[in-house]
Amino acid sequence: MQEQHADTQSSGGAPSPSKPLCVKCRLHEGTLDSRSQLVCRDCFSKFISAKCVKQVGIIGKDIRNPGSGSGAASQKKKYVLGLSLGVSSSVLVHLLNENVEYQLAKGRAAPFDLTVVHVDSSSLFPNNGSSSSAEETLDRYRKRYPRFEFRRVPVSDVLNLSTVDWSTLLPPSDEKTRPENEQQLSELVDRLPSSTSRTDILRLFTRHLLISATRQNECHALLLGHTTTALAELTLAETAKGRGFSLPWQVNDGPVAVVDYQPAADEPTTSQIQIYHPLRDLLRKELVTYATELTTPPLVSDLAISISSHPSSGPSQQVVSHKDLSIEEVMFLYFAEVEENYPSVVANVARTTGKLVRILGGPGAAGNEEAEDEDETTANGTSDKKRERCGLCSMPLDEQGDERWRGELGDEDVHQKEGGKGRICYGCERSLRG
Amino acid sequence: MAPSLCAICKTERALIKRPKNHAKLCKTCFITIFEDEVHHTITSSKLFYPGEKVAIGASGGKDSTVLASVLKTLNERHNYGLDLVLLSIDEGIKGYRDDSLETVKRNAVQYEMPLKVVGYDELYGWTMDQVVETIGKKGNCTYCGVFRRQALDRGAKMLDIKHVVTGHNADDVAETILMNLLRGDLSRLSRSTSIVTGDSKSDVKRSKPLKYAYEKEIVLYAHHKKLDYFSTECIYSPEAFRGSARSLIKQLERVRPSAILDIVRSGEDMARLVPGESSSTCGGTCKEKKTTAPVAVEDDIGGCGSTNSRAPGGEMAAMEKQLRENEASEGLEVDITKTVSQRKDGATDNQKALPLRNANKNSKPITRQVLGNCKRCGYMSSQDICQACMLLEGLNKNRPQIQI
Repeated sequence: MQEQHADTQSSGGAPSPSKPLCVKCRLHEGTLDSRSQLVCRDCFSKFISAKCVKQVGIIGKDIRNPGSGSGAASQKKKYVLGLSLGVSSSVLVHLLNENVEYQLAKGRAAPFDLTVVHVDSSSLFPNNGSSSSAEETLDRYRKRYPRFEFRRVPVSDVLNLSTVDWSTLLPPSDEKTRPENEQQLSELVDRLPSSTSRTDILRLFTRHLLISATRQNECHALLLGHTTTALAELTLAETAKGRGFSLPWQVNDGPVAVVDYQPAADEPTTSQIQIYHPLRDLLRKELVTYATELTTPPLVSDLAISISSHPSSGPSQQVVSHKDLSIEEVMFLYFAEVEENYPSVVANVARTTGKLVRILGGPGAAGNEEAEDEDETTANGTSDKKRERCGLCSMPLDEQGDERWRGELGDEDVHQKEGGKGRICYGCERSLRG
Repeated sequence: MAPSLCAICKTERALIKRPKNHAKLCKTCFITIFEDEVHHTITSSKLFYPGEKVAIGASGGKDSTVLASVLKTLNERHNYGLDLVLLSIDEGIKGYRDDSLETVKRNAVQYEMPLKVVGYDELYGWTMDQVVETIGKKGNCTYCGVFRRQALDRGAKMLDIKHVVTGHNADDVAETILMNLLRGDLSRLSRSTSIVTGDSKSDVKRSKPLKYAYEKEIVLYAHHKKLDYFSTECIYSPEAFRGSARSLIKQLERVRPSAILDIVRSGEDMARLVPGESSSTCGGTCKEKKTTAPVAVEDDIGGCGSTNSRAPGGEMAAMEKQLRENEASEGLEVDITKTVSQRKDGATDNQKALPLRNANKNSKPITRQVLGNCKRCGYMSSQDICQACMLLEGLNKNRPQIQI
């Protein structure tokens, strides 16, 4: 290190004194702001990849022995990446590709197989007038990252999933067991009481589809592109939607329960998958800088990424009035502002939320994962010991909180549907019935 | 279009769109349902017992005026048997308290309640105007808030009253929840959501009967009941985090009115998820006692209810700086316990494997605060010397800035 310093000072190519040096390498001109320090383009890029690679390494260790049985150790890791076509998830694709290329260049085997899945909900917004279809956009990705498989999954595929308890979404009077086609799904979404509800339910559908893709491909983990900023947004948005209870399952990395309501089976079955957020240590604005200035050709133009709007608002949806914003969009705008001047405050929100404990057991409950596994397998007969989950979002139902809330507010609209079937959590109730 | 009828009585014309759920109601039904809901909060949380002497923290503002009015009404209607007293704090801010204290005095007459006014000068030897003169406008809300918290309790003690009710509404509670999330303050988050605060160690119990009432409905209630209240805000601006949280709440309410209550609900639930909180450790298997069990807290809610200024100011910048310094020093720090335990991991591999990864792997434990009493003034405090006495010490030494 010291030698390097000496080098810089003596080398003739040092920048003129008027231009500030990068605080990290002291070699090049510092032109970019990284956590309130001026750094050069190289060091900025390295910082971004290092933060991501570190998390990818953690995932690799976590699922060191993919599958089970003998010889499993040699089996290659397989991940699914959820791509919204926004900045963060696109940068994640880029960084993972870089990681793979690097390993291959070193003569090693690729560390993992990646399937990138985009859940396409454009059919539910027929009039957003987007210029190119998702498939066309994905072709740009395929061209740029030929090593990975890119798949488009229409949101209506959610109709085929049995991880959603469809009886929760239909009015009790309805004879059908589930909406049958895209048209009916679209009507169902249209009937939701507000823009927030629509965004919220579509987010759940997307999550279900990504989880399903992960399970279908027998992948070991689902990777999501949430940045620190996105996790902070998620924290406050979910809080504002009455979903505070489920935050520990949403913000932390690790196992998440998947409930399957197979029509043939009497009881829903529960399994689990791993979800990770490899960009959790990076700010959104850093990824914007990376995607616009530090990639060639710039990701933003090459992949037609919109950086100014929340991914949920669709490509070119015009915001008519602030009343039509969703809570997610309000949070997006709010944190864009906070992130500008107080990035550490943003990071602190995500970090703090991560400390909340997953009570009620369930996968990843503090310190009793093993006990939990046992419980899930042995408690088959005793349904009262089983943890009930929301039929829509699969999060644990918070009986204690529900009971207290009913008592305190005398609310009659919470859990009108009593009995085991079709129970949903407070947050989903809010989204469905306003 | 024909005028719509009230959704409850279906006879009167609907004049009010309820801010809480946009139900269209007539004036009478709105007033009734508002009162009924507060009554429900009071009975379900068992806030009072018959014959209890209760002091209403009265500022002359809309919240406390509505609280006084509703409590008087409900006390008579449902025979609570309460002995209600108005308790007012004079911070000594010229042009702010002078008029609002006049309002409180009129309220005392209107509601036929005795009134006790306690001044900062007699409690602390400093008026707020003098404090601002010494330390400037930055951070003075901290002083005001800390002083006021104790002032109500001390005033109540003077009157030999063990229960103070305050006018904190759902917006205030939601604001505090978001603020504590923004500040990353989980222990405050878990304490601030409780409807009753104070514990056996403190002589005075605090509660907020309007915890579930929307600020906008409080304003409507005051308007339609033609209540006499004072509506000027504090002339000193609020802290940045609170201001920021407040403007965010207003936006959220606009896009989805239920958001305020939903935040309160989330906050109450998250309170149980904070590591070390009593009910989170029992894994949800034990039934929680009714939440009326008072929670030990140095009440930290509501500030002074000031709404101006969303410009994130000193407090937020200070925290940003602090956090950055922490980040910078993190790299230099060696976590001895971690390295030791890792080595142990490897050595005892064939024993019971530790869970690979749990929710709190990387987190430092949250320091639990142990509540005691201030050695100087006896007020409950988690420190040896309570905040107020610390601030006073600083003021009295004439040291202009003191960090708390």
